[in-house]
Formats: sequence, C-alpha cells, structure tokens
Amino acid sequence: MSKTVIQFTILTILLVMAQVLVLNHICLFNVAVPMVFIYIIIRLPITLGANWAMTVGFILGLVVDIFSDTYGMNALACTILAVLRRPVLHLYVSREEELPRPEPSIYSLGTTACLKYLLTMTLVYCTLIFLIESFTFFNPLRLVLLIVCSTLLSVLLMAGIDSLLTPRSEKRL
Amino acid sequence: MRELLKFFIKYSSWLVFTVYMVVSCVLLFTSNPYQHHLYLTSANAVSASVYSAVSNVTSYFSLRDINEDLQRRNADLELEVYKLKNVIRDYHEKEYADSMVVDSALSRYHFIIAHVINNSINRSHNYITIGKGSLDGIEPEMGVVDQNGVVGIVNVTGPHTARLISLLNPHLRLSCKVKGQDHVGSLAWDGRDPGEAILEELPRHAVFHKGDTIVTSGFSSVFPEGVLVGTVVDAEKEHDDNFFALRVKLFTDFSTLSTVRVIRDKMKDELREVEQDIEVKSTF
Repeated sequence: MSKTVIQFTILTILLVMAQVLVLNHICLFNVAVPMVFIYIIIRLPITLGANWAMTVGFILGLVVDIFSDTYGMNALACTILAVLRRPVLHLYVSREEELPRPEPSIYSLGTTACLKYLLTMTLVYCTLIFLIESFTFFNPLRLVLLIVCSTLLSVLLMAGIDSLLTPRSEKRL
Repeated sequence: MRELLKFFIKYSSWLVFTVYMVVSCVLLFTSNPYQHHLYLTSANAVSASVYSAVSNVTSYFSLRDINEDLQRRNADLELEVYKLKNVIRDYHEKEYADSMVVDSALSRYHFIIAHVINNSINRSHNYITIGKGSLDGIEPEMGVVDQNGVVGIVNVTGPHTARLISLLNPHLRLSCKVKGQDHVGSLAWDGRDPGEAILEELPRHAVFHKGDTIVTSGFSSVFPEGVLVGTVVDAEKEHDDNFFALRVKLFTDFSTLSTVRVIRDKMKDELREVEQDIEVKSTF
C-alpha cells in the first residue's frame, strides 16, 4: 500500500516537473501541446474512492496551474476528468474483479483496452482544457485541430511512459 | 440531524465535486483576464438593468430640488447672455466706426455711433429715441445720419438717451439742393408715404431731371454739405408759380433703422457765436 503511495508521489512530482519545465513550451507545428501529467489521474487505482480521486485531481490541476499561470483552468479540467474516470473505464472493461493490478495500465487491461481508455480520457481532457481556455467558439476549426493533435501527441507520450512503468519481469503478455 | 449526515455521506462525492468546481471556477474567473471580462460584463448587464429600473423610480423624489437649482442657473445664464450681447454690440459699433470712409473734407465733423431703441414711421409726427445721451457727448440740434442718408435732428437729450425729430416729421425742414447745382430748397415730409418727402421752394429756373440726387446743402450747421437724402421721382407744381416742388424718394429706410451716427460739428460753437454777433450788430 505504502509502496504504491510512494510510487505515485514520485511519479507525480516527476511528471509535473516534466510538464511545467519542458512540455508546456513544446508546441508542435503550432497545434499540438502535450499534456502528460494527466497520466496520474488515469493511473489512479480503481479501488480509490471518487472523493479521493477528485481531491487528487484538483490538487494536481492546481499545482500545474500555479506553475503555468493559468489559475483554475487545469484544476477544473482535472476535477472533471477524475469524476469521469470510472464511467469511461466501465465502457471498456466489463470485468473489474479479474484485473491483476488495481491500476489501469497496459499490463492490467491489455493493449487495446488500455489504449482506448487512454485515448478517451485524453480526448476529454484536451477538449475541456481548450474550451475553458478559449471560452468561445470563435474559431471552431482551429479548436478541433488543437484538440485532436494534442490528444494524439499526449497519448503517444503517455503510452511510452506506461510501457516504461510496466514491471520488467511481466512485460508483453 | 442524523438524516442530514446520512444524506451528506451518501452523496458525498457530489458535494466534493461541487466544492472543487466552485473553487476552480472562482480561481478561473478572477485570475484570467478574458474569463474575468466575460463574467464582469454579463454580471454588469444584469446589475445595470436592475440599477436603472430602481433609479427610474427614485429619481422622481429629488425633482423639486433639481427644478429649483435649474431655475436659478437659468437666471444666471440669461444674465450672462445679456451681458455678452451688450459686449458684442459694443464691438460691432466700434467695427462700424472703423469701416467708415473718412473724407478729409469732413474732418471737422466727428461721428458718435448710437443704437436706435425706439422708432415709429406710421404716426403723423414721428420721433426716434437713441441709446446715447449727453454723457456721450450728444447735444440738441445735432444732425443724425445712417449709412444710407439723413435720419433726423437731436431734439431732447437725457444723460443716457436722446430723442430725435425724425425726417418723417413735418416739423423738420431740411435745407437741400440738387446735386451738382447750387439752388437750395426745403425738404419736408408730407405725412403720406414714409419713403418719400417733398422738396419745396426750389426756384423755377432750376434745372432738374428725374433720378437726380438730392443732397444736403450745408447751409445749416446741423448737416455737412453733400449728405445724401434721396432721388427725384416726380415734379409737382406749387400753388406759387415761382417755385417748384419735387417729390423725393428718400434713401433712408426708416422701417429698418438700427445704428445711426450723430454728427458733431467742431465748428458749431464758433459758427453760432459769429452768427449771433451778426444779429446783435444788425439791430443797430
């Protein structure tokens, strides 16, 4: 239990640092912005209660906001994402009790389901964040472009991180 | 109380969610300028409409004070306008004086500009009142002209106003002649047409034509020689066959008199003294 907590804490710190120091400034082709800190929320154990998940999401969003000077935007989006975690997972996973590990990852869900889950969550998050940021449908085409490209880039990065975190002895089942 | 706690525990996640949403929204709207602007303007529209509805009602309560204040300020402003109009009139008078062409032959004459404050043309005996008086240098028996022609002679003066006998007054007889000749006659108004007068006592051998200009003869110290009076319209035979009477159309438009010039003759005192002496001597 505590091992997971420590693991999660280290992961959080690493990802947040990476996001605010490096990835916030990357803007591929002027459209794609990678968002990897949401991996924390995605990887939260299923057994964790909704309240705690929301708290984690809120604090995570707030921390990223403080660093990137966008008060409230990430906090709002992360809170909503934390709430949607369970329903989205239920879309793709029918049998929760038979998971080897409580955290959703490629190892525990299988590649397809995990990727689908990852994609959905990232899509939802990117939509939220870009909508809140622009707060208007002024240029819907650009908005859609931003959302799609950022989603793809983030999914790519997060899949990579996920495979890094898979325990070595049980890879590629 | 227990039921309330149970309710809270059952729906705790919704509660927590709501709290987090509210906090994030507050942060969002207060710190980010664009969202802040949106929130403020929408809020402003609502509050503005409420305030305007309220003020529509409460503004009626202070109407009486506003009315009194407005009346007082109106009175002050009207007084100021009147003063400014007077100033402008003075400037116009000075401008009028500057725009006059001064003939060197008339240098013994000095003009005082005055405004007409009362006039009449439809009575049998007409008088004109002007806005300058003895304190401005106006004395009785000064001639008055305007830019068109002869107007009258000063009759009575007060300190600030003076009354003229208008040319449209049978009491005034002006010594005139046909321009270019030396034959002198008397111009008087016959009481019929305010634009025409009769030039009488013109000798029968005087030559004149229709359209000839009638000017003052300069024989009196009231008017200098050559001031325009009118043009000949028609000739009338007088009952006395030795003299002609001419109908003269006057240049001066008495119905639109506004600014006149009072002629002050510098040599008037000297002339009067000399003529008086002659009379005294002639009694011997």
